[in-house]
Amino acid sequence: MGKQLLFGFAFLLLSLTAPEQFITRQGTVTFFSYTNVENIQATNNQVLSLFSPSDSGIAVSILMRAFVFEKSLMQEHFNESYIESDLYPQATFEGTVVDFDPNIQGEQTRIVKGDFTLKDVTKSREIKVKITKTDTGYNIEGDFNVSIKDHNIKVPGLLSPNIAETINVSFNFQYEPYEN
Amino acid sequence: MKTKVVIILALTLGCISQIHSQNLLDQLNKVQNDSVFEVAATFKATRLSIGHSVETRKKNVLEISAMTRYWNTAAETSNSFVADKMSARFGLDYGISDRLTAGLGWSTQGSVWDGFLKYRLLRQQNKGNIVSVTLLQTATHRDFDVAATNTYDDGSGSLGFGDKLAFTSQILIARKFTRNFSLQIAPTYVHRNTSIFQGDSDQYAVGIGGRYKLGPHVSVVSEYYYVVNPVDNPNTNGPFSLGVNWELSDLMLQFKMTNNGAFVEDTFITKTRNNFNFRDGNFYFGFQATFFIQL
Repeated sequence: MGKQLLFGFAFLLLSLTAPEQFITRQGTVTFFSYTNVENIQATNNQVLSLFSPSDSGIAVSILMRAFVFEKSLMQEHFNESYIESDLYPQATFEGTVVDFDPNIQGEQTRIVKGDFTLKDVTKSREIKVKITKTDTGYNIEGDFNVSIKDHNIKVPGLLSPNIAETINVSFNFQYEPYEN
Repeated sequence: MKTKVVIILALTLGCISQIHSQNLLDQLNKVQNDSVFEVAATFKATRLSIGHSVETRKKNVLEISAMTRYWNTAAETSNSFVADKMSARFGLDYGISDRLTAGLGWSTQGSVWDGFLKYRLLRQQNKGNIVSVTLLQTATHRDFDVAATNTYDDGSGSLGFGDKLAFTSQILIARKFTRNFSLQIAPTYVHRNTSIFQGDSDQYAVGIGGRYKLGPHVSVVSEYYYVVNPVDNPNTNGPFSLGVNWELSDLMLQFKMTNNGAFVEDTFITKTRNNFNFRDGNFYFGFQATFFIQL
């Protein structure tokens, strides 16, 4: 009897404390490189992200291969020569939203603090984001700048006028409840 | 009994805390299913060195190419600037779809027009297809007269359009073994509507070629064709090439050392007269520039 009660209690505890999480499988990440010579833009519509409002945790995984460029040749160079997506298939971010208030309905602007990893180089970052509570989940959007030197991306001297030293990255994630 | 309860409780709590401490990123990695994707850039250009590679151009990409070869004649004394002779081919390649590429070219030597269709049948994948397969069909038209041929002279003294055609069919099979090393094998069939030498109307060959990437933009390439049934007279050798490919944004530069001065498949595969060495008359230096435009 006591045992059954205990198991029931444990089960209850487990289900109660399992935090509610939100996921996006079709998050959008777009990056821009503006130079005098040419503007380069690429979009990835298959970004994976988890958001846990209870502890303000957020994690993002960006499949580098899934970036689509206007020019197919640029996409090949991006994967082959610059990002080396066969060696470093993903860029990741893991962090927390500072002072996130799950009770606010609608919009709130917050800072996300965390670690951004690209090409095995991890940099701690603070990114300003806009978090909107929707009917079913959350919407998080924002942008930040990445210095290509920071992440071991080498551009041959001859091509350095074509590729900006700082790349602007913008993102938009629409989270839905996650059943795990 | 009491201690048992405590132990079970402690274990359960331990489990719960462990579930919680598992970070979000690890959870994400579990969600990320192992997708099947195509292996990119087995070779960097549509030409390996002298011959075609499995690569085709993506839709709406136009390639403008200039191929040149330079060589010295076997004559002892030569007063020419840099090289005694040169030949060139100017070509346009266009990606009709991501799988189908069409091309057109004109070579100075013998005034040869050539056209080709290239279809990407299979693409190598991370799991699934272990090789890429591309089909190539070329047609060439060259100006020569009846006197130079083995054909029966019907008295008109000239050959019709169809008689001046030759065709090359290739099945290009390639695999990217590592990120740096790719290998290609190319069974080849050459057909000529008009025979010039005894036994050259239908010929078979096997091409083998590879590339090794030295850096992100530079690779070493080599290619050799073995001709299964070479003509008895004159003596021919298999074409060989050793070169460097250098990629510069939307410009591809290919440098090569080879033993022939022809650019179209039916000629260089089965009709290379010289063996590969550095003697004048046998040694050809090749330079090829290809420019890409996204339409």
